[in-house]
Amino acid sequence: MPVTTVRRVAVVDNDLCDECGLCMPLCPPEAIHMTRKGLVVDGDTCTGCVKCIAPCPVGALAMVDA
Amino acid sequence: MRKTDVLVVGAGPAGCIAAREAAAGGTGLDVLLIERDRAIGAPVRCAEGVGSAGLREFLDPTGADWVSRRITKVIFWAPDDTEVRVAEGDVGYVLDRTRFEPVLADEARRAGAEVLIRTEACGMVRDDGGWKVRLTGPRGEQEIRAKIVIGADGVESMVGRWAGLDTRVASRDMESCAQYVVSNIAFDPDAIYLHFTSRWAPGGYGWIFPKSVGVANVGLGMVALKSDGRNARQYLDEYVARYFPQGTVVGLTVGGVIVATTVKRTTTDGVMLAGDAAHMINPLSGGGIVNAMKAGRLAGRHAAASLAEGDTSARRLQRYHDDWMALLGDDHLKYYRLKEALTKLDDAFFNKLARTVNAIPLEKRTLGRIFAHALVNHPQLIPVAARFFV
Repeated sequence: MPVTTVRRVAVVDNDLCDECGLCMPLCPPEAIHMTRKGLVVDGDTCTGCVKCIAPCPVGALAMVDA
Repeated sequence: MRKTDVLVVGAGPAGCIAAREAAAGGTGLDVLLIERDRAIGAPVRCAEGVGSAGLREFLDPTGADWVSRRITKVIFWAPDDTEVRVAEGDVGYVLDRTRFEPVLADEARRAGAEVLIRTEACGMVRDDGGWKVRLTGPRGEQEIRAKIVIGADGVESMVGRWAGLDTRVASRDMESCAQYVVSNIAFDPDAIYLHFTSRWAPGGYGWIFPKSVGVANVGLGMVALKSDGRNARQYLDEYVARYFPQGTVVGLTVGGVIVATTVKRTTTDGVMLAGDAAHMINPLSGGGIVNAMKAGRLAGRHAAASLAEGDTSARRLQRYHDDWMALLGDDHLKYYRLKEALTKLDDAFFNKLARTVNAIPLEKRTLGRIFAHALVNHPQLIPVAARFFV
């Protein structure tokens, strides 16, 4: 049976996010952006490295299937 | 299209002072200072502590309404809660940054800068020897041409990214911080408390910074790599429940403190980064307010001088970087080495050190003597000290 690998990417829960920007310089491909509607992860650029997940002071980032 | 000589992005301590110094250069420059938020100084994302000597280089705190509390003592808590009192005297201040930053912005405006709130830079491209910057504000989008852009836009620095400067941070150099304003609690309102404990603040420390009698900023910074899986706010919830169960939580702040050294390149053609945007934080203490003002002062002066010389090239602006490194940046390399060495020591060591220090009579407890005693009684500190002075 063929195995399909699902790409995982980070997403921001904007209800929890305080928009402190801590995650932005942690992101190696600089995929996290501050917008007028809050922080957004560019799913095409995110490499799934999870470096932004644990440091978030309020746990607003999580990994999901792309 | 609107034009300006200097565009300063971010009206924090770095940006306000940069704008003030650029405008005060006496060469009649157009200086525009923009702030994304609705109010300058808010929301507060800071523990608000500042050293006395550094602050006085910029403003006189005597009787100022932007001071929450004058601080005359430093109290360390060891991991086992042993209390160690150290400095007594002119230690510093806990600010009210909702009032402090407006005063700084006012200084910039009185020097001749224009200040615009609720205006955000959202992109910039190289243009005719300067930069074309896209701004969004209450009246929609506009573009502005700036000969020099000073990026004072904090940990998330977009100016640095747009200009091609590498402002990324390794996980181990990021302190995840959470802080509550807690009222109705008992503590010495003339002291700041620093709590070293891997249980409550792994890879960082906890703090109590008085805002007034009975009210304090209670917070902690931790390195996520050393976490047991909880985030900073979860650590803080347990910390406050343990130490201040009777307190009322009346405010929450979270944020990142970059405890690294200055970014390799803070400048490029027509661009300078200042403050948190360039990682100009003391990596041992996590303090950044005075550093930001000192960097802003250098950046503003170099902006004015380089425009007067007609040369805003990366090569010319490198002198800003060099001046910063000579002023504080090189010291931060030493503090970084010390931080790295200290993180290798465990709670048992700090408990023992606290007892050693407390054996010295309080009036003789100068930092020099503490250091000497620490070296004699704790030989494992010697390599730490050696690395600090290398």
